[in-house]
Amino acid sequence: MSLFVRRVSLGKRAFHDIRTYKEDPRWPGWQVVVGIETHAQIKSRRKLFSETLTSSLNDPPNTHVSPFDAAYPGTLPKVNSKCVDLALRTALALKCRVSRRSSFDRKHYFYPDLPAGYQITQHYSPIATDGTLEIAIAESSPIRVRIKQIQLEQDTAKSTFDPRTSNSYIDLSRAGTGLMEIVSEADMRSPEEAGAYVRTLQSVLRAVGSSDGNMEQGSLRCDVNVSVNRKGDPPGTRCEIKNLNSVKFMMAAITHEVKRQSDFLTANPGLAVPQETRGFDENTFETFRLRSKEDAPDYRYMPDPNLGTLVLSEGRIEEIKQTLPPLPWEIRARLLEKYPTLQGKQQSLDVLLNVDSGREVPFDGENKGGAVQYFERLTHDLLGQLAARQETFSANTLTAEQFGELVDLVQDKTITGTSGKLLLRHMLANPSPRSAKEVASELDLIALDSASSSGSSASSELEELCKAAITALPSEAAAFKAGNKNVLNKIVGYVMKKSRGRADAGAAKNMVEKLIKDDDSS
Amino acid sequence: MRTNVITKRCLSSHRFCTRLYSTSSRARHREVISAKNASVNAFVSVSEPSSSHVSRDGSKGLPLSGLTVAIKDNIATSQMSTTCSSAMLQNFTSPFDATVVELLIQNGVDIIGKTNCDEFGMGSLNVHSVHGPVKNPLGLFQDPPEERSAGGSSGGSAAAVAAGMCDAALGTDTGGSVRLPASYCGIVGLKPSYGLISRWGVVSYADSLDCVGVLASNVEVTQRVFERIAAHDTNDPTSAPQAIRYKARQQVEELFPSASTSTPSSKPTDDTSILKRLRIGIPQEYFPAELSSTILDQLRTLIHTLQIRGGATIVPVSLPTTAYALSSYYVLASAEASSNLARYDGVRYGSYEAPGPETDLTKTSSVYARTRSVNFGKEVKKRILLGTYALSADAFDNYFLQAQRIRQLIKNDFDRVFRIPNFFSDQTHQNTRDTNTETSQPKVDVLLHPSAIRTAPLLSDSESESADSLSAYVQDVLTVPASLGGLPALSVPMGVSGKEGFRWPVGASIVGQWGTDELVLAVGRAVERLQAGRCSS
Repeated sequence: MSLFVRRVSLGKRAFHDIRTYKEDPRWPGWQVVVGIETHAQIKSRRKLFSETLTSSLNDPPNTHVSPFDAAYPGTLPKVNSKCVDLALRTALALKCRVSRRSSFDRKHYFYPDLPAGYQITQHYSPIATDGTLEIAIAESSPIRVRIKQIQLEQDTAKSTFDPRTSNSYIDLSRAGTGLMEIVSEADMRSPEEAGAYVRTLQSVLRAVGSSDGNMEQGSLRCDVNVSVNRKGDPPGTRCEIKNLNSVKFMMAAITHEVKRQSDFLTANPGLAVPQETRGFDENTFETFRLRSKEDAPDYRYMPDPNLGTLVLSEGRIEEIKQTLPPLPWEIRARLLEKYPTLQGKQQSLDVLLNVDSGREVPFDGENKGGAVQYFERLTHDLLGQLAARQETFSANTLTAEQFGELVDLVQDKTITGTSGKLLLRHMLANPSPRSAKEVASELDLIALDSASSSGSSASSELEELCKAAITALPSEAAAFKAGNKNVLNKIVGYVMKKSRGRADAGAAKNMVEKLIKDDDSS
Repeated sequence: MRTNVITKRCLSSHRFCTRLYSTSSRARHREVISAKNASVNAFVSVSEPSSSHVSRDGSKGLPLSGLTVAIKDNIATSQMSTTCSSAMLQNFTSPFDATVVELLIQNGVDIIGKTNCDEFGMGSLNVHSVHGPVKNPLGLFQDPPEERSAGGSSGGSAAAVAAGMCDAALGTDTGGSVRLPASYCGIVGLKPSYGLISRWGVVSYADSLDCVGVLASNVEVTQRVFERIAAHDTNDPTSAPQAIRYKARQQVEELFPSASTSTPSSKPTDDTSILKRLRIGIPQEYFPAELSSTILDQLRTLIHTLQIRGGATIVPVSLPTTAYALSSYYVLASAEASSNLARYDGVRYGSYEAPGPETDLTKTSSVYARTRSVNFGKEVKKRILLGTYALSADAFDNYFLQAQRIRQLIKNDFDRVFRIPNFFSDQTHQNTRDTNTETSQPKVDVLLHPSAIRTAPLLSDSESESADSLSAYVQDVLTVPASLGGLPALSVPMGVSGKEGFRWPVGASIVGQWGTDELVLAVGRAVERLQAGRCSS
C-alpha cells in the first residue's frame, strides 16, 4: 500500500509540465496532451537512395522505378546529397542540433508497399535533434513546441485496394522518395494548437524549399499522439492516430479522441486508457482501433550495413546556414523593426506573410530566393509608399490578395521588379477591386520576355527594341564587337529605357549580344 | 621423395594457362563441361559461345582476352538466370549485369556460365542447393572414385576451376566461402579486402561481410582477374575510395618494392625474394583441437621452408578475441541475412505458393509464410530464424550489439599485429594506435595459418553432419576472422595431405592488413614457387 502511494506521488513530482493548465470549456477539468510526427516528402528531383526521378501525382503508375526502387536482388543504396542538404535546411530552420555523424537503420515489416521488406530510416542516430518551433496563436501569446528529432527515411510504394474486384494495386513510383520525419515533443494542449503547429511547420518547410508541405496531395502526412488526464495528474496513456491527411481531419481526430478517452476514464475509474494505434474515419469524423499495444509489430531495427555513417563537415553545415532562405518570422521581425507602426497590426502582417502558401516549391532547394524574398522587398516598397502617402498600414486599400498576386507576378517574371514597383504605386493611388494582373496588362507592364505573355511576339518586341538600340548606338555596337565589354551596359540601358522597365535586363543583354554576334558571323 | 600429384596438377594448368590462351580455349572448356558437368554439377547454366558478349573479335587485344571465367550464381547476369541456388529465384533473370561481370566483359573475358553454390551463399559444403550438391572433381576422376564435397559456398566455382572447365571463376566469400572450397579443391582462392571489388549486382547475404572473390588454378591468373575487377564503383556505397586504396598500396610499395609490380610473370625468378624482408605471423589461436594433425604437419613444413629457403622471419603472435569470432559471425551474418532475404516472399520475388484452404487470409503474414516455408531451404530458414531472433527488441542488445562489439575487438586484434595501419577503419583507428604503444607485440606483414581444419569430407558424411550441425560451422573457424576484419585472405594449396596414398589437398591462408592484397598475392606466389621447387628437386 505504502509503495503504491509513493509511486503515485513520485510520478506526480517527476512530471513537470512545460505548459500551465488552461481550462477548455469543451472538456472542463481535462488536460489534453498532443505530440505530432510529421512525414514531409523532400522536394528533390531524385529519390533518396537512387537516381530515379521522383514522381508527381499525375504520372501513370510504375513509371518512376529503377531496379533499386523495386528492391531487385543485388542493388545497393546511394545517398542523394541534395536530400541531405534539404533536411539540413529544415533542421537549421527548426533550430535543431545537427548531428555531425548520423546513420541509417532498417525497419522491418512485411507489406507489399515495402519492396525490400524494410524501410531505411534513422532510428538510432537521426540527422538532427533538439529543436524548437514557435507557434503564433490567435489572441494569445505564442507557444514553443520542442522538436525531438528529424530523421531521413524512404517513402513506401502506394497501395490501392479495389473493393469491387478485391484486387490490390501497387505503384512503386513513390517507393524510395525521400521523407523527413519531424517528431515533436508532446507540447501541444488543444486541437487548435496542433493545427497551428502543422500550419507553421508547413510555412517553414515551404520557405526553406525542403517540401511542398501539401497534406491534400500527400507530401505532408501526420501521425498524432493524444492523451488526456485530469487536471494536475500526470499524463495519461497515449493513443496514436495514423495517417491524417488534412489539418481539418487532424483537429477533428484529436477532438474525437479527447472525448473518447475522457469518457473511458470517467466510465472506468482507476483504469488507464488502453494503448492503441488508431485510424480516422473521414465520413464519421471518429477514430477507430487499428491495433492494440500487444499487436504492435517488432520492427527489428538494424543498422544498415551498406550506408555506414553519414558524416557532415562543419563547413557543409555552415554553408547551408549561410544560404538558408529567410524564414517567415525573420521577415516579420525585420519589418516590425523597420516599421514600428506595424506593431498592433500583426494580424494583417501575418495575412500578408501567408501569400507564400500555395506557391510551387522548386526542386532541390534551387532558386533560393523564392516568393518570400520578393514579398519582403515589395512589402518594404508598400510600406514606403504608404508612408509617403501618409496612410497607415491598416488603412491601406490594397487587399492581401491583390498584394499577393502582385508578388506572384514579379516572382514568376510576368512583370519585372521595376514594373512591380510602378504597379504598386498605381494601385495604391487608384484603389479598385481589380486584380493586379488586369491592372498590369492595362498599364502595358507585362514583361517582354515573359513566358506567360504571348511568347514569340513579346520576345520579338524585345528583339525589335534591341535592334533599334544597336542602330541608334552604332559606335557603341562597333566597340562591343571589337571586344569592349563595358559598352554593352550602355546599349542595354538604352533598351531598358525604351521598354519603360518591361524588359528584363538579363534577357536584353543576351539578345543584344546575340544580335551583334549574328551580325558578325553573317 | 613422395610424388606431389596436386602440385603437379597446378603446375601443368599454370603452364597451360600462360601458353595456350587462344580462342580454342573457350571451345575446349565447353567440351570439358559437357563431358564432366553431369557428374561434377559445377555449372547450373552455360553460355552460348556465340552469345553477344562472348566472341567478339574486337576483344582480342584486351587484358583478359581469351580467358574463360565462370560466375557464381548469386552474381547478377542479364544473359543467364541468377538463381542463388534457391527454389525462390529459380526463374529469376536480373535486368542488369553486376559491375564485376561488366568489368570482365570489358576486359575481353568469355563468361562461360554460372556456377552452383550453397543457397544464397549459406553453407560450407555446397550441399544446400536446389541444383543438388557439387562433387569434388579430384575425387570423381580417381580410382576408385570418391564423392567428396567441393566445399562451400562457392563450391561450383572451385570445382569448375579444378575440373578444367574454365580458367578462373568468381565466387563470393562472406565467412570463408571462397577460401574453403579452394582449399578442398586444391586451387587458389582470394577473398580480397572488403570494399575493393564492387558488390553492385551481388545478391546480398550479409552486406557488411560479403566480398567477391577470385578462384583459379594459380596465383598469377587469380591476380590478373583480381586487378581488373578491383575498381572503385559509385554504385556501391561500401566501395573503398581511390585515396585509401592508394594509401594502402603505397605502404606496401615502401616496405616491399618488388611486391607491387603488377606483372609478376615478367620475372618469375624473383618470386621468392620478397620473403627476405617479410615478417610472417603465426597466430596461436588458429590451431584448434579439431585441426587434423596431418594438416598441422604440412603447415610446419611450409613454415620451415619459408624460413630456411625463403629467408622469412617467423613470429608467433596472439589474436586473443579469435575464440569469439564464430559466435559473432553467425549472429551478424544471420541478422543481415534475415533482413536481406525479407524481399523474397512470393509477391515481389520468388515462386508464389498459394496458401492452403484452411489459411486465415485476413493476415498478410500467412500469405507470405507458405511461400517462404516452401521455397527456402533448411539452412537458409535456420539462419533467417536465428537472425530474426537476434534483431528482435528483447534480444538485440545481448546478441546483435554484443556481436558488433566482438567484431570491433577482432579488428583491433588484427590492427595490433600488423606493421601497416588499417586505412579502411573508421574513427576507432586512432584508439587502436594508442594501444599499440602499450603492448610490445612484434609487428608482422602477413599472417599464415591453415585454411581449413580438415580436407574435403565425403558427401555421405556431410549428410549425417547436417543433423549434428555444429561441426559444419566449426569448419569456418579459421576463415571467419578475416571476414569480420574485412582483410585480404588468400588460400594456396599446401600440397599433399597424409603419408601414403591419401592425396587430398588443403590450403594455407595468407592474411594481410586491409588493402595489402598485392602483398598477400606476392607471398602466395612465393609459396607456390617454393613448393614447386621442393617437389621438383
